[in-house]
Amino acid sequence: MPVLSNSQKYNLVKIMNDHIPHATLLGIQVERIDGEELTLKLPYQTALVGDPDAGTLHGGVLTVLLDQTLGMATVCCDTTEPSVTPTLDLRVDHLSVAPPGMDVFASARVYKATRKILFVEGYAYCESKENPIARATGSWVRVADVDLSWLVPNDQDAV
Amino acid sequence: MALVDNVRNSPNSAALEVWLQKVPYAAFLGIKAELNKGNILFILPENKKFIGNPSLPALHGGVIGAFMEQAAALHLIANMDKPALPKIINFSLDYLRPARLRDTYAKCRLSRQGRFISNITITAWQEHVDQPNAIARAHFLTPDYK
Repeated sequence: MPVLSNSQKYNLVKIMNDHIPHATLLGIQVERIDGEELTLKLPYQTALVGDPDAGTLHGGVLTVLLDQTLGMATVCCDTTEPSVTPTLDLRVDHLSVAPPGMDVFASARVYKATRKILFVEGYAYCESKENPIARATGSWVRVADVDLSWLVPNDQDAV
Repeated sequence: MALVDNVRNSPNSAALEVWLQKVPYAAFLGIKAELNKGNILFILPENKKFIGNPSLPALHGGVIGAFMEQAAALHLIANMDKPALPKIINFSLDYLRPARLRDTYAKCRLSRQGRFISNITITAWQEHVDQPNAIARAHFLTPDYK
């Protein structure tokens, strides 16, 4: 199986992300692809606050961002064909809170792919990945292959 | 007297509504709460803006999770002697069925309410309560309200 280049993965993930109404509503964007690691960005919005006195984001907003980032990281995995993958389960540890007014990033990668199950982990953070505000793990189920025939080959950074 | 005792006497569940309006993201999602036989029924009204998979269409799994977490937090608040916002420690969510574009319901059970930490289980469903779309467990840190 040919490994997708970073720019091919970026195109694929961007199309998926931009087709998800709730992702666009929250302003979730593709930040970058680095090999098998996907990073998405959630811009701060006062509508997404959970604690009105502190101005910090609702824990559920991080669940949305992490579910989406871990779920879409499945197509960035180099050891398995990109697949339609509904979430089986997701666990989020809230290590800290996002400081008010700051955008949140989430990075995720598949750490084990079996024939049917993809095991994924990721983090949410504001300033630095070394200082995460949440950690997530979850599993995704491969239910069908994704048709990639439309994906324009890009030799610029092909592996 | 716990908030839940107050709201039991309030036919319009006004106290729950006040809390839901206090939390911007809960208001953004349009979460509703009703009292049903002494328990709280949470409702996430059908809305196209929650779609995560347009081809089915199915609701975004993350939104179902966020709804369940908010339901758990308010369920906990309603059982406090002095209601205060709890802090989420962790959240563990099992998806059982895709959620379709329709109203989603949730109910919670306070499995353990400790002095600082509470354990809540949440069930979310659309058609029948015995065919849940998702089940979840949340731990919250509660302020020392004694």
